[in-house]
Amino acid sequence: MELWRLITTFEASPEFNMGLDQALLETPESPPTLRFYTWSPDTLSLGYFQRFADVPRAAEAGAQVRRITGGGAIHHVDELTFSLACPVDHPLYQGPIGASYERVHRTIAVALARFGVKADLRGERALVSDRADTGMCFHHSTPLDLAWDERKGVGSAQRRKDGRVLHHGSIKLRNSPLEGDIATLERYGAPAPEEFAPVLLEAFKSELAIRTRPAAPEIDEREIATVVGAGYRAEKFLRRR
Amino acid sequence: MTSKTTRPDDRKYFESHEWAKQDGENVIIGITDFAVTALSNGNDSDLVYCDLPEPGRELAQGETFGEIESVKAVSDLNSPVAGEVIAINQKIEEHLEILSRDPWNEGWMIRIRPTSKNWAGEKLMSAAEYEKYLEAQKH
Repeated sequence: MELWRLITTFEASPEFNMGLDQALLETPESPPTLRFYTWSPDTLSLGYFQRFADVPRAAEAGAQVRRITGGGAIHHVDELTFSLACPVDHPLYQGPIGASYERVHRTIAVALARFGVKADLRGERALVSDRADTGMCFHHSTPLDLAWDERKGVGSAQRRKDGRVLHHGSIKLRNSPLEGDIATLERYGAPAPEEFAPVLLEAFKSELAIRTRPAAPEIDEREIATVVGAGYRAEKFLRRR
Repeated sequence: MTSKTTRPDDRKYFESHEWAKQDGENVIIGITDFAVTALSNGNDSDLVYCDLPEPGRELAQGETFGEIESVKAVSDLNSPVAGEVIAINQKIEEHLEILSRDPWNEGWMIRIRPTSKNWAGEKLMSAAEYEKYLEAQKH
C-alpha cells in the first residue's frame, strides 16, 4: 500500500492555509499528501476567476481570500476543509478530470455514511440548494457534486500545474449564514472537525488502499507558505476581477 | 515510413498538450483536442474562463502564458515555443465553445514572433510522436 503524508492544521490563518496548499502544489519533491484544516477567523474564499462583485455578501465573513482553484465562493466556517496534492499521473488523478472527482467524492460518501448520511453524486437532477446571484459554490451544482437531502454538501475544485494536482474541498458540518439551506451534518450528530477528520481519514485509507503517516509541513514548504500566503488576502489579488 | 495520425501533421506538439504551427514568419499556438476533452469531459459548456496574455509579453519555452478553467479545474497554458506575443485570439475568451468545435484552426490562442527560426526542433513532437506519448500516458 502506498504511503501518503497526513498534515493536520486546525484553526490556521487564511494566509497560511492558502500558502501551504500552493506549496504542496508547487514542490515537486513533496510526497502524495492529504491535508485536513480549518480556518481562523472564518474566511470567505473566492474562486480563481470569480468577480468580487459577483459575491454580494463577501464582506460579511471574517476575512476574504482568492483561491488558486476555480468555482464559486465558499464560507469556511463549521466545516472540514481537505486538500490532496500529488503528481497528476497518480492513479487517483489519471484519466478524465471528471473521473478523479468521482473517486474522491465516492470516498467522502463512505465517511458520510458512518454518520448516517446517504450522499450520492447529483447526476442530472436539480437541487433545492441551487440559487442564482449569490456567487456561492454551494448554490451552484454540477453532476459530479456530492449531495444529500436534495442539497449540495461538498464543494471541491482542482488546480493542475507543472505535472501536479491540488484538489481541495469543503465538507459542511453545520449551516453558515452566508450559505443558508445547504446539506450539512447538522441533522446527523453535527460532528466537530476533529471528530469528522479521523472518519474521513479511514475512508481515504480503505477506499484508496493507502497508508498515512502524520507529519508537519517541511521547512521549505513552510517558507513558501509564508512568502506567498499574504498575497492571497492582498487587495490587488482579491479584486483582480 | 511515417505512421498514420488522426491529428494534423502540419504542426508540432508539446508535452503539456499545446500545439505550435508556423504561420508566415510567426507561430500560432493552441491546445490539442486531448486537452479540450480532458478539461471539458466532452461537454463544451464545462469550459468557463480563459485568460490570455497581453501582446508584447516575452515567453520562454514552457512558460505559462495563460490559464483556463473548466467546471472542475484550473489549468495552466504553456508556450511550446519561446518568443514575443504579438496577438491573441480574443474570441476565445468570450466563446470557449470554439475550442471544442475546432481546436486546430479557429481555436488558436496566441500568435508569437519566435525567438529562433529553428523553433520546431526543440523538445517538440510530431503528430505521430504525440500520439505515442498519449498512448504511453495511459499505462
